[in-house]
Amino acid sequence: MKKLIHSKKLQCLLLVCLFFCLAGLTGCEFSEPAAVETTGTSIENYTGEPYTVLNDNIPTFTADELVLDSYEQYSPLDSLGRCGAAMANIGIDLMPTEDRGSIGQVKPTGWQTVKYDIVDGKYLYNRCHLIGFQLTGENANKENLITGTRYMNVEGMLPFENMVADYVKETENHVLYRVTPVFADDHLVADGVQIEALSVEDDGQGICFNVFVYNVQPGITIDYATGNSSLTQQAEEPSQATGQEVTEIRGNSNSKIYHCPGQSYYEGMLDSKYLVIFSSEEEAIAAGYRKAKN
Amino acid sequence: MIAVVCVDERNGMLFNGRRVSRDRLVCEDVLRNCSGYLWMEPYSASLFAQMPQEQLRVETQFLQKADDEAWCFVEREPLSPYLSKLEQIVIYQWNRHYPADTYLDISLNDWTLVSTEEFAGYSHPKITKEIYRR
Repeated sequence: MKKLIHSKKLQCLLLVCLFFCLAGLTGCEFSEPAAVETTGTSIENYTGEPYTVLNDNIPTFTADELVLDSYEQYSPLDSLGRCGAAMANIGIDLMPTEDRGSIGQVKPTGWQTVKYDIVDGKYLYNRCHLIGFQLTGENANKENLITGTRYMNVEGMLPFENMVADYVKETENHVLYRVTPVFADDHLVADGVQIEALSVEDDGQGICFNVFVYNVQPGITIDYATGNSSLTQQAEEPSQATGQEVTEIRGNSNSKIYHCPGQSYYEGMLDSKYLVIFSSEEEAIAAGYRKAKN
Repeated sequence: MIAVVCVDERNGMLFNGRRVSRDRLVCEDVLRNCSGYLWMEPYSASLFAQMPQEQLRVETQFLQKADDEAWCFVEREPLSPYLSKLEQIVIYQWNRHYPADTYLDISLNDWTLVSTEEFAGYSHPKITKEIYRR
């Protein structure tokens, strides 16, 4: 991995000692890095929310990765030209001081310029920074850009980047941050990205999460092997022949989102391990759930 | 009781038990407008570490202990159990979207919006401050 050190060496040993002292008191716990999981195994299928929590939101950083130096590092592209994990210890000194420049010259794997009316901004695909520009100021770095849907970029990744950026600006602490694109087989478009983050100086009291963000676009079916896409065929309307009213509301106990009949992920919720059944929307709301947006 | 809360543009407050955002100018604004003590839980005290400490009342179960006129800075405690005590709610809305799993748990439909103000924060280009009264 290419590694860029942006400040002088600090007292790593002290930090590691501090980490071990604090780890049992507050914040997150750590383990050896786990193999990146794929959507086919332990990551829940997309059920209408842009991300799902992994490992109870505990990132898998190791103690020796927790340092006080700001840095950013990117994996070389693989034999198919795909990005690997990108990692940074984000400090105020890494953040951009100038506006973002053009990135249109970069063509990540699976890239296609395709527009749909149902997509915000029309364009299905964005060049998605693994580590957002607002965090490290990386512009047209091909090792930091993947083909991602507008939905993943704006609804999935950006909110996490915003949270980290605000924390760093306000505290001037560091946040250890890793984004790992997950490709199935030899696919050119990632299924999604895993984002892990931990605030360093306060041992995760400010920032601590581990999530998988889905590279999906509601209403669009994507061939991840090639990047080809098409409008999703609408499921047939439920038959009214029986005259029975469907009143079952399906909640997701992980996201606290509920889905009504006819919504995009109502049927898919049946297979979710987080399925919770309510008899009405009122019952779901009273239980602290909110309605899915689509 | 006057509750002060910070929410994102979708009323999100926390993710994984942590505030979704912060801005030091919001803290200053809260203290500038607060009459008497500003009550809060220990989790919130770090936000005000650089502010005058004599104005702060840091207590666990602070919403139970605060009197009817008290200003309370609320981040993690649900407000709905204290609805009958609430006379005013001051909302600072971040002009951004953050991940959230805990949201403002009361509806403002029955409240009257008496004041709206926008200002630039330290790390936020725009923050909207709204004051609701019964």
